[in-house]
Amino acid sequence: MATSASSRESIWADLEPLLPQVRKPAQYTGGEGNIVVKDHRACSSSWLLVYPDAYEVGQPNQGVQILYEVLGEREGTVAERGYSPAADMEALLRQHGLPFFSLETHRPLRAFDVVAFSLATELGYTNLLTALDLGEMAVRAADRADDAPLVMVGGHAAFNPEPLAPFVDVVCAGDGEEFVGEVDDLVKAWRADRERGAGWPREELLEAIAEVDGAYVPRFYEAEYTRQGRLRGTFPRRRGVPYRVPKRTVSNLDAWPYPKRSVVPLTETVHERYSVEIFRGCTRGCRFCQAGMITRPVRERSKDTIKEMVDNGLAETGFEEVGLLSLSSADHSEIQGLCGEVADAYEGTATSLSLPSTRVDAFNVDLADELTRDGRRSGLTFAPEAGTERMRRVINKTVAEADMLATAEAAFSRGWRHIKLYFMIGLPTETDADVVGIAELGLKVLEVGKRYGKKNKVTVSVGGFVPKPHTPFQWAAQDSPEQLRHKIGLIKSRVGGEKGLNLRYHDPAPGVLEGILARGDRWVADAVQRAFELGARFDGWDECFDLELWRRALADAGLDEAWYTTRERDEAEVFPWEHLDSGLERDWLWTDWQEALAERELGDCRWIPCYDCGVCPGLDLEHQTGHLPIISAS
Amino acid sequence: MPVAATLSSAGSDAGAAQSPSRSSSDAVAARSPSRSSSEAVAARIRVRYAKTGKLRFISAIDLGRLWERALRKAGLPIAYSEGFSPHPKISFPDALPVGCASTGEYAELTFAAPVAVDAAIRDLNAAFVDGCEVWQAVPVVHGAPRLSTLLAASLWQIDYPSDTDPCDVDAAVAALRAAQRVVIARHRKSETVEADLRPFVHDLVGSGTCVRAVLLRSEPPVRAGELHAALAAFRPDAAGRQALPEPTRFTRVAQGAPAENGVDEALSGARVALGASGDP
Repeated sequence: MATSASSRESIWADLEPLLPQVRKPAQYTGGEGNIVVKDHRACSSSWLLVYPDAYEVGQPNQGVQILYEVLGEREGTVAERGYSPAADMEALLRQHGLPFFSLETHRPLRAFDVVAFSLATELGYTNLLTALDLGEMAVRAADRADDAPLVMVGGHAAFNPEPLAPFVDVVCAGDGEEFVGEVDDLVKAWRADRERGAGWPREELLEAIAEVDGAYVPRFYEAEYTRQGRLRGTFPRRRGVPYRVPKRTVSNLDAWPYPKRSVVPLTETVHERYSVEIFRGCTRGCRFCQAGMITRPVRERSKDTIKEMVDNGLAETGFEEVGLLSLSSADHSEIQGLCGEVADAYEGTATSLSLPSTRVDAFNVDLADELTRDGRRSGLTFAPEAGTERMRRVINKTVAEADMLATAEAAFSRGWRHIKLYFMIGLPTETDADVVGIAELGLKVLEVGKRYGKKNKVTVSVGGFVPKPHTPFQWAAQDSPEQLRHKIGLIKSRVGGEKGLNLRYHDPAPGVLEGILARGDRWVADAVQRAFELGARFDGWDECFDLELWRRALADAGLDEAWYTTRERDEAEVFPWEHLDSGLERDWLWTDWQEALAERELGDCRWIPCYDCGVCPGLDLEHQTGHLPIISAS
Repeated sequence: MPVAATLSSAGSDAGAAQSPSRSSSDAVAARSPSRSSSEAVAARIRVRYAKTGKLRFISAIDLGRLWERALRKAGLPIAYSEGFSPHPKISFPDALPVGCASTGEYAELTFAAPVAVDAAIRDLNAAFVDGCEVWQAVPVVHGAPRLSTLLAASLWQIDYPSDTDPCDVDAAVAALRAAQRVVIARHRKSETVEADLRPFVHDLVGSGTCVRAVLLRSEPPVRAGELHAALAAFRPDAAGRQALPEPTRFTRVAQGAPAENGVDEALSGARVALGASGDP
């Protein structure tokens, strides 16, 4: 058909004249280093990978980069990327009747077989709907024609996809590397049959995809509620689909050494570096941390693979910074040798090395020293998360205050001049004393700093805690913005006008929305759609977020904010995400929640006998680390 | 006069499709076969390069990073400044407004060790993304004048939509040439100041649907957008001519010394003629 063929071609000629009218036009041009441009006509499947936020935020995302390369390396598969247009660009696109487009070839969203969204946070949901709507797609999956692109989501927030359930066709729970290949094979078969005139209905394709490990097809499940409006459960409504969807887990990271050739942005983004995951998963067991819980078990990448990836990655990109990523970097069994060898290799080349996510201990200062041999020791960041030892036992991130101060001493004495400390407020059982403890800890660290230099500084950064699915804190009540503002006030007045201590905090209002979307059920989807219709966009941006708009959307959808946020759940609560199996046993999560309330810590299962969280036997895997195996003493 | 290390330019990339076609006179330096076998070795070099296609939309800050990464990717030993946050020693004498194309950009590079100029530029061009390409490079000899002093004039081309009546272009050009003063409004933060462009318009011609002009360096510089605004401000005359529409493209063609009918390109000294349109 001529019309559908023309609507699949590049819109660049129409877009280019609009670029002088928008802010930051380079975010829409594509043409970056290391992009993969393929001829669509020579390919038998096409994917548009969308990060539903601004280019500057989404471009560095590691998950998108990995899948972009994995798909791009497949024969006959084309993968392109898309990001959310800012308000000025969205208005121009609508004014000129232009669709959401890809960056590589500026093709309309509808020209792709699969549109896959990466959901790192919940605050991109209205941007997701904007992309679909601007992409000339029916926002609701049930309204889509057989040949419309498949809408897929993945990433950490997809572990509770229910607030998006009516909008998406397929959810990927867990690691995407193997998953996308298996889905791609099915999409190719589907498209080939359609092009031969022997097409199967969309439902049949979805049935086939539902058999892929890690795939959840929301339309094949139904949420049942009691007459009082409490969730009874989410149950399969189609024969053959799993009762609970097990997450997908890549067992050997060395077999997936991606990214190899990261896209190098032409314009500023939040992280401009070649990043390599040194391991996936975490056994520390911090009770607030969704990432740590849903990515178990630990899978280390070998030192040799990491070094090879860094060498090739820098040569292919020209980046001046390397990031060694993980949830707790110093826990890699070969971290010391790795840091030393990487530092040796790049000494004197003006290449900077960063090791985010380090814990508060002196060993990390040694590592940081190693990575800054050129002596540029500006800021060191630690995340104690809570201000008192009691509170840290509750969240299971136990560090003694004396050790923390010793760490600060080690850092300042070796020339570090600025320590940044990250904390959360609104944690379960938190008292005013715990909150004031944040300020006091900051002041004590500053006192240590002042002994080594009058100009030394401490930054205390405070964020509001939002309880997340698949964690022991999924039962917890979330603080209201009013409670959080009171707590920020406590810290402010304790810190006073102390020079050298910089207090940073965010407005607590967006946390309300994050909480609703994080623990929301399918009913919340109506509010998401309503908010989108009312104009909500870029909810993660303080300057765009509008709580009153969302409250209107909730009211229109007949939903109660407090039900989703400030309500503490009891043991009988059935969660909207329980049909997605992260591997963690519900009983273990509940026990750990009770342990938290009793202020009891739980050790790292690398060092203590297994406490049966359920992940390893469920996946038939064990933690893969270079550490010596722990023999149970009992 | 510095020795020119002339380079042939690779042609068939996607960016080139967006870039203005290189007429023989615009690209005279790049295409000149005369000294293409230079084996010069130098630690400081000056380059003329093109910024075209999608790269038109990146800022001056973005451009600095683009150069740094290409140099690193090419494995060239660019020197870094001392101090807390070292910067590569690349200097750009003036910034091109975002959105404009150029085949007449210039930079000076300082390396930590001498490099073979031709080979270095070949590697650098291979490392650049489409839209950035060095056309010519020369070693900086001791006592050479500052690069910015070599860029006293720039030749600009303003392209109008293909359905523009060439007579409208000619009429606007003729009116501007005849004017004693060409006053435009410049918006600065809260105030608007008036400026007379005429003293800085060395020469201009209309050629089909494009205008080419030699603008003299000034502080603040006259922007091609301001020249267009002045051209478009001339009202239809008795012959019923139309005001000029929004241009489709601004291109800085070359920079150098102002000359009769064009500029003498800064690195090669070759005349880039005012009258030679970039349009085929």
